[in-house]
Amino acid sequence: MIRLYDYELSGNCYKLRLLMSFLGVEYESELVDFYPGNRHKSEAFRKINPLGQLPVIDDDGLVLRDAQAILVYLASKYDGSGKWYPRDNPDLLGQVSQWLAFADAITATASAARLHDALFYTHIDVGACRAGAHRLFRILDEHLFFAEEAGQDWICPGDHPTIADIACFPYIILSEEGGISRMDYPAIRRWCDRFKRIPGFTVMSGVFPAGPAADEDSKLAS
Amino acid sequence: MSRFTCKDPVVLDLWHAIASADEAVDGAISTTVLLEDPVAFTRSETGDPVVWTYPARTEPELPADPADHLPVLERYGYVWTSFGTPPPDLFPIPEYGEKDRRNIHAATFGVNVSAPRAIENFLDMGHFPYVHTDILGAEPHTEVREYEVEISEERDEIVATNCKFFQPMAAAASSGGTDVDYIYRVPHPYCSVLYKSSPLDESRFDVIAVFVQPVDQEHVRAHMMLTLLDETSEDTAIRLFQQTIFGQDKPILENQYPKRLPLDPRAETPIRADKSAIAYRRWLTKKGITYGVIPAAA
Amino acid sequence: MTTDMHSHWYPIASSSDLPKRHVYQAKLLGREFAVWRADDGYVNVWENRCLHRGVRLSIGINDGKELKCQYHGWRYANRTAGCTYIPAHPADAPARTICNHRYPTQEVHGLVWAGETASGELPDMEGFDEVTVLRPVPVNAPRELVAQELRHYVFAEGCTSREEADGSVIVTAAGGPSVRLFVQPCDSNHSVIRGLLDQASEGAERVAILKHHNWLLEELRSRIEAAAASMETPEPMVVTIAKVSEDLVDIPPASEDGRQAELRVQVTEKAMTAEGIVSLRLEALKGPLPTFQPGAHIDVHLQNGLVRQYSLTNGPGETDHYTIGVKREPDSRGGSVAIHDGVAKGDVLAISAPRNNFPLRRDATHTVFVAGGIGVTPLLSMARTLNSQGLGFEFHYFVQSGAHVAFNQAFGEMGDAVTIHEGLSPGETGDTLRDVLKSPGRARHVYICGPGPMLEATRQIAADAGWADEAIHFEYFKNTTERDDSSSFEIDLARSAMTLTVPSGKTILDVLREAGINMSSSCEQGACGTCRCGVIEGEILHQDVYLSPKEKAEGKSIMTCVSRAASDRLILDI
Repeated sequence: MIRLYDYELSGNCYKLRLLMSFLGVEYESELVDFYPGNRHKSEAFRKINPLGQLPVIDDDGLVLRDAQAILVYLASKYDGSGKWYPRDNPDLLGQVSQWLAFADAITATASAARLHDALFYTHIDVGACRAGAHRLFRILDEHLFFAEEAGQDWICPGDHPTIADIACFPYIILSEEGGISRMDYPAIRRWCDRFKRIPGFTVMSGVFPAGPAADEDSKLAS
Repeated sequence: MSRFTCKDPVVLDLWHAIASADEAVDGAISTTVLLEDPVAFTRSETGDPVVWTYPARTEPELPADPADHLPVLERYGYVWTSFGTPPPDLFPIPEYGEKDRRNIHAATFGVNVSAPRAIENFLDMGHFPYVHTDILGAEPHTEVREYEVEISEERDEIVATNCKFFQPMAAAASSGGTDVDYIYRVPHPYCSVLYKSSPLDESRFDVIAVFVQPVDQEHVRAHMMLTLLDETSEDTAIRLFQQTIFGQDKPILENQYPKRLPLDPRAETPIRADKSAIAYRRWLTKKGITYGVIPAAA
Repeated sequence: MTTDMHSHWYPIASSSDLPKRHVYQAKLLGREFAVWRADDGYVNVWENRCLHRGVRLSIGINDGKELKCQYHGWRYANRTAGCTYIPAHPADAPARTICNHRYPTQEVHGLVWAGETASGELPDMEGFDEVTVLRPVPVNAPRELVAQELRHYVFAEGCTSREEADGSVIVTAAGGPSVRLFVQPCDSNHSVIRGLLDQASEGAERVAILKHHNWLLEELRSRIEAAAASMETPEPMVVTIAKVSEDLVDIPPASEDGRQAELRVQVTEKAMTAEGIVSLRLEALKGPLPTFQPGAHIDVHLQNGLVRQYSLTNGPGETDHYTIGVKREPDSRGGSVAIHDGVAKGDVLAISAPRNNFPLRRDATHTVFVAGGIGVTPLLSMARTLNSQGLGFEFHYFVQSGAHVAFNQAFGEMGDAVTIHEGLSPGETGDTLRDVLKSPGRARHVYICGPGPMLEATRQIAADAGWADEAIHFEYFKNTTERDDSSSFEIDLARSAMTLTVPSGKTILDVLREAGINMSSSCEQGACGTCRCGVIEGEILHQDVYLSPKEKAEGKSIMTCVSRAASDRLILDI
């Protein structure tokens, strides 16, 4: 079984819990005392990931780090439909990769601001992180507004979400914990509701579930 | 006139937890903020914590003159200090000293809310099914049954007893859910202690305390301490469980408006389930606390 | 900030910002709004704050009919913003005064408009009958600065601009289209530019138009924000939050509004819904109707002077009207005949606000409804509520024949949960009920309403099957028990420090009213529960059908309209 080196409050770990829940892939969590224990910097953990970062998975001996890399791996291996990571569609693949990089930029700003406010990462320039997150959110909100205009629900074109949606979701939905309001981003807020209604969606601490969709807009409901 | 930013005499005279005890290390100086003023702490060669204030935007240095040190206590796994004349000792938690218990520092979290809002949430059972879904409660079992609240004159603390709440998964072995008993104490305006029936020994309680450090009127550091009878679970699992619970409360607390606790009885709408919160608000009013609250108009 | 600004209308959202089952977050002049569209299309603009503990409702759940707070699950109704349910106290009906603050709103020209105290007309929108709503662009700058820069907006050759009376700017291209630009002042240093193009568009052309303006407005934003950054940032606006009503300071008491007909409603539909049963749709003549909860009834004041109680059959969120069902009872005292024969579509009736003495618990894992004949009405409203929330229930409806099934359409929506039992003899009914009620259990509840004998029988069967007294809920239409008012006795009013004598021939309620004490009542025959009063001391001669046997035995409450003292004296908690 897949082993996930996991910390409940980590948005990056949450990305993997989400994808495995959407795909119905079983896994076991190896809880790491990230805070306050700082165990991800321990010698034992650095032997698993020399960067000293979560998440890491161990899938039958294959050890992988980096949330986005693991999303690519899990979707490629376990999603028979090929929808979450459309590896046979170069156009789409390029767009997914583009937004995976964007998700990393969200992590570097919105997640950093949250670590500053909640877990006292006081060396972080929180003002710069918040401003950076707002710049990214403006771009994503505009993108999602025009996606809706084109009848699209997700970050990349098509009638199914991709790992780009999963990679962007956690640190957007947790942004207020870093003092980053989403009031100015109505298209992002609607996309968050749609994301929460994907069958198999699970919450983490700090994320609330959506209510039921109106019948006519539950495209993904089975 | 006080040299501190906070002018609330009641709050200045309180003990405030500022860090877990293991953060105070001999040879290293750590910093935090209490009541809007920068505070530094370390541990002396004799093993005692030392706390002092220092000017903002400077490097803190240990003042040579002990007269420049703040009052300090080390209790329940935390370093406590005060900006005024604090009482000789803290409120008691006798369970902390019991030999067969494990005392665990679960975490210190920063929350964008006032200290009294955080305490009031800690006293509240009605949110279990909605905020701690499938852990501490689950719909449709939402009823908060009658419980008793009294203010102990002798100890000047609020005590809520005979609190019961239906929990779907109170223990791994239970099927169909069970009622869990709680007792809540508020022995300090910014601290609360909760007693929860132990799954291992019905006659005894697990104890969970929250010590809220007011960084300013709308930001806190919440220190969470557990003293448990559990002998089997690993510290990491216990810590992370408690962090999961608190992480669920956090977005609620940060979405409360206003962030300071309004003491005017007509500011919000209490129900019978809020008996302990009503008592808490009255108790704060009676103490004349103004920091982190919106006092009722005279 | 002048109060004048608060009386204006401002666009706060595009219509497309409000899909169903979503809660939109807005800010206007420092005040936050939770904005949500109900499944019936209505747009609600409310204070973004639950009355209970101040949590933002924009993190709550729009279930299409009600907005549910994320913290304690309090539910607020579409349109009225009244609280319909407090899960911590499932057996109680929330006080009617628990009502969130609503703000005036209109949805026209593809925009949602609101204002703190907005009244009067929207800005004159001549020339903008057909529109394309531009993508809103938030700007971190004060309203005045944004409005000033909008005059320099250029989107084509030869643009000219002019400021309208409402402060908006119309920019017209030479011989071409016009764009009207509004500023939503969110806070002192935060605004949103909202624009309308004076022509409809679709397809690729629409996307091109939207992108063109979006690009230009974002460029304009960059210039405005650069200018704002060089200015001193103003202090955020301060808003005051209205206090909750005085009677909510502690634990909400029962309302004290006597037997008043405070509402005027018009009969907008009258139709036979089953043999001998007419349904009436009642709409307010002015303003919104008060919030109702499932199980609630209203007093209807008839033209012939009679006052009758009818349960509301509405489902959650149906807040623009009340629907009642009235069975023709030729032998009765004339209320039903007056409605059947004397009330026509278009008539105006006087009614009371809804009262709920038959509250529905929603903390049951399973609920059984047993309805006989016209007793279906309150249970229908309850079942529709559980159905909407996805809570488990079964509904047994006993009727003479298929032709007697009222409100067929509403039952159709509940599918398999509903069983219609037609034309059963009393014996067969008893057997069926024994089967239906054979499994009591924790968090299971039964609700019964129907004719007296059937209700008695059902209560007995439920009790015999082991249902706890607290799990059996019932409502009689009327009290057919023989009542004795021959005794005389004294009542002490503990809180009012008064002693009164109740002579034979008068009720406690009569005597209280004569002494100037305002006591609510409704049916005045011991069936509805409105005039319930606490008893501190004394023995009670219960003559009502509202209290359960256990409540009667406890002797802590009395129905003041029919019940009396069995001792010389009662001490009442008034």
